Amino acid sequence: MTKKNPPVDPCRSFLRRLPLTLLAGMLVWLMVRPVLDVAVCALTETLIRAFEYPRVTRLVAINHGAEVRRSDFHTASGVHTQALTEIHFNIIVLLALSLALSRPFGRKRLERLFMAASLLYLTQVLTLLFHVKYLYATALGEWSFQNYSRLAREFFGFCRYFSDLPGRFSFPFLLWLGFNWDQVAVILGNQASRESTKPSGKRARKGKQR
Amino acid sequence: MNLKTLWQRPDARFLILFLTILAIGFGVVALKWVNERVVDPYTEVVAQMSAGLLRLFGEEIVVSGCNLSGRFSVTIYNGCNGLITSLIFVSGVLAFPASLRAKLIGFLGGLVAIQLINLVRIISLFFIGVYFPKFFNQSHVVIWQSVIILAGVSLWVLWANRFAAPSQPAKAEGGQ
Repeated sequence: MTKKNPPVDPCRSFLRRLPLTLLAGMLVWLMVRPVLDVAVCALTETLIRAFEYPRVTRLVAINHGAEVRRSDFHTASGVHTQALTEIHFNIIVLLALSLALSRPFGRKRLERLFMAASLLYLTQVLTLLFHVKYLYATALGEWSFQNYSRLAREFFGFCRYFSDLPGRFSFPFLLWLGFNWDQVAVILGNQASRESTKPSGKRARKGKQR
Repeated sequence: MNLKTLWQRPDARFLILFLTILAIGFGVVALKWVNERVVDPYTEVVAQMSAGLLRLFGEEIVVSGCNLSGRFSVTIYNGCNGLITSLIFVSGVLAFPASLRAKLIGFLGGLVAIQLINLVRIISLFFIGVYFPKFFNQSHVVIWQSVIILAGVSLWVLWANRFAAPSQPAKAEGGQ
């Protein structure tokens, strides 16, 4: 007699795995944190300098913060530091959600995770960029008023607000959803998606049981 | 691929609706008028509720606006009041295809659940500040922000699966 395996509830499996994958995500983030600090600073600096004349901005990753240095400022000027942890911690959320799906280490899943992580990295770069531009546009007294119009200050203020709060919180979820809709639909209870994602290689039972 | 074709795909339709509702929600919350008359008073209520719970634990707490002072001082800003997670959750509920009744259950139940989790966050961070102040920043930024986002996603997944998923049609009998 063949044993019947009880049907696995994908939603329950996903929710049960989530606390463990959260821990795994935190461990991975702790390991890659120094690399992320440098990577986020480097691309942000490149983008800022690409649209800057003269090219004076340097972002230096020190103690998990980005020191904003300008070569045209007085040496006695204070140096602003933007905390990098707040900017790139959200990769933990993306990792936790992705690893909690079924077969997370399959080639297709890993490719999607890599693509989602790459896009998330770009959003982190933009977040830091808007922080720095907002600092330039509003927090440097008379220099800010001389070099940035009111429209520029409003624009960078809005971008900083959006990328900082709602962006930071929602980007991992949106990317996870966008790259894994087929699996997420199954977890959400979509009957059509459940039927289309039945594992191949198993024979469907037809007619009488043996 | 035009918008009409994109709209016919359920995943694209959900994402478009979700992003639209989210953008409107955040746009409204960002308005100065709304911030002064809704967000700040709401945050003060969260502070009062947190203070009440801390007093149950025997803490002497003084509340001043959004600031809680006792053995440790905590200020609750926008981003720590559960509002952002609530907006993301509500956008997910409204954008997902479901009956009005299911959406109402999700809206009310989800908001209450998120606020309860947020209160636990504030209380735990207070005590981390008292007993393990070195770990306060990491707990606040890394651990609890990740937990609250995942809690919001989990609640949405649970709601969609339990309340919004269409009931499965009865299997036809015969031939077995």
